[in-house]
Amino acid sequence: MTPADDPRHSAATTAIAGSPGLTDPKPSATGRVPRRPGPLTAASAVLLLPLAVLAVTTDRFLTLDNARAILASAAFVGITAIGATLVMIVGSAVSLAASQTATVVAMVFLATQQLGLLPAVLLALVCGVVLTAAQGAVVGYWDANPIVLTIAAGFAVGAAATWFSGGTPVYPASNAFAVLNRTLLGLPVSVYALLAVTALAHWLLRRTTAGRQMYLVGENRAAARAAGLPVGRVTVLAWAFFGGCIAVAGIFLASFNTAATVTLGGTLTLDAIAAVLVGGTAIAGGRGSALQTLGGALLISVISDVLLLRGYSTGMQILVKGLLVLAVVIAVHLRTTRGWR
Amino acid sequence: MSRAWLARPERLMPVVSLAVVLASFLASPMVSGRQLELFDAYNALQGFAHLGLLALAIGITMIAGEFDLSVVGTYALGGMIAVSTGATSPVAGVLAAVAVGAAIGAAQGGLIAGLRIPSMPVTLATYIALLGLTNVLSGGLSVTYPNSDATLWVDQTIAGIFSPRSLVTLGAFLALALLLGCTRLGRELRAIGGDRRASRVTGVRVDRRLVGLFTLSGTLAALGGALLAYSYASANPDPGLQPLILAAVAALLGGVSLAGGRGAPLGLLAGALSVALLAQIVVTTALPDYSTQLLYAALLAVIVAIESPGLHRSIDRIRARRADSPRRYPCPKP
Repeated sequence: MTPADDPRHSAATTAIAGSPGLTDPKPSATGRVPRRPGPLTAASAVLLLPLAVLAVTTDRFLTLDNARAILASAAFVGITAIGATLVMIVGSAVSLAASQTATVVAMVFLATQQLGLLPAVLLALVCGVVLTAAQGAVVGYWDANPIVLTIAAGFAVGAAATWFSGGTPVYPASNAFAVLNRTLLGLPVSVYALLAVTALAHWLLRRTTAGRQMYLVGENRAAARAAGLPVGRVTVLAWAFFGGCIAVAGIFLASFNTAATVTLGGTLTLDAIAAVLVGGTAIAGGRGSALQTLGGALLISVISDVLLLRGYSTGMQILVKGLLVLAVVIAVHLRTTRGWR
Repeated sequence: MSRAWLARPERLMPVVSLAVVLASFLASPMVSGRQLELFDAYNALQGFAHLGLLALAIGITMIAGEFDLSVVGTYALGGMIAVSTGATSPVAGVLAAVAVGAAIGAAQGGLIAGLRIPSMPVTLATYIALLGLTNVLSGGLSVTYPNSDATLWVDQTIAGIFSPRSLVTLGAFLALALLLGCTRLGRELRAIGGDRRASRVTGVRVDRRLVGLFTLSGTLAALGGALLAYSYASANPDPGLQPLILAAVAALLGGVSLAGGRGAPLGLLAGALSVALLAQIVVTTALPDYSTQLLYAALLAVIVAIESPGLHRSIDRIRARRADSPRRYPCPKP
């Protein structure tokens, strides 16, 4: 049995060393000599080599069960992160309201179980899309500051969640959702959802007009507006997709926990942002891809897994995640601005 | 004169918000049916001490056009360090916390200025890392502070309404107001926030100022966290995003612009006092918790919407259209 971590590592490597062509070091017209190995390649090697060694030498890392656990733990964060990628690409930086929105979606999903699974899923999706697209509209049409706006929105949504639930957990009337907790070919349904969402996002970004426009709007908003691109509509579309992703994550969170409390969303917001940034998407927008984010989410999942297996605390996992995000942010920045400083 | 003085948003905003909140504070007995006491003012100032230093820390970075998300992490870490090192000597604990905060701020400032990275992702990553570090130091649990003398000392009443904690906070605001008001630094900060390239060209030492700025914001946040931990007699490893939200509301009410280049410490002081008084009103009128949250969220959302450049553009467009409409023919373009 080949170790299951190999394809993942290579995925993560390509994700970070990523986007070919555009940013490959090559002599520019001005004759500026580029940095040869590229800071990003060096950084990813520095980061990944010790990780690979650590991982392989960790007891119980190279087992099928562990590979499953890594994939399963990447699913919730990964689904949210894929949506957050589009928001970052379109130039709206980040949303800090993901946890609260996922919590509300989970509550709606569980509270409407008696209607049947499909109506509950649809209602939850609508709820997530509307809440998030509304923020996207303010950001897209009015150029509002997305960070502060989403802080406010997250606060409001969280307050509304407390209000509606009365601060008590929401329990479902029936357990029609149990089907979402099943495993298919040894993997939980949420992993397939992650792959489906990734494929959908990738297709949207690469093959549709709206997707291409997202890159253009993120690259240079003023130029995109001057060129007559529908900046507002494209931004809202990206946020609506993000809302859909949050809703899917919320639905799986609800099914997994079988009850929704106000704190259900937990650290989803920061985890998703971390996954997007580790995937190498530039925070300024215009760059990045869904596959890179998938790589980032898996990389974080692998690192958490290794630290967990080696007996480190949750705090250490968060610390390493933060340092990893910092390193990748710096590396991506150095790569995208090479020669321009 | 007063109208012209008030016409600028960085003065109008804090003055109006403080006046409105103060008026509602004085009117709150009509809702609660309980007479206001000196103790309510003391409590409001305690709330001010709670978030003041954090609001100042984030506010000064916003004046320079940056947004230091890591202050909440430094806040938590500062409290944890103060509690774990200051059991015998509270002053040593505060000094240790402040030193660590300053070091973290300087490192971030060095990165941001040296590599010209946008501050948001850097400070976000630092925030995550600092939460982790605080968690590692505390083992994920709240750590109690055994020195009850220090706890009593920082919250003792002085002149009826003050405490050493609120006086330190007030002192930080006034010292910074003097520093930025009487030297070139204040204007340089606003210049950096307004147009970084132009200020660089005109000879402002942007990189040095940024390093100093982030060092200061880290210091202030750590000091705030340390004082809070002494007051609570415990340090919380994860304060969540709530302190950040209150600090951001305070900074924005204080007349700081989200785009940078506008604001002053005295405005921030008024903003922080407004938020503290607002919190005290909520307490005295016994509103439920979620309505406070909704109130802050609505405030923040309204400010963000008012500040958004796109709204200004569309208002300008509507105005231009209204000015044009009586003529009923298109203006000839030059």
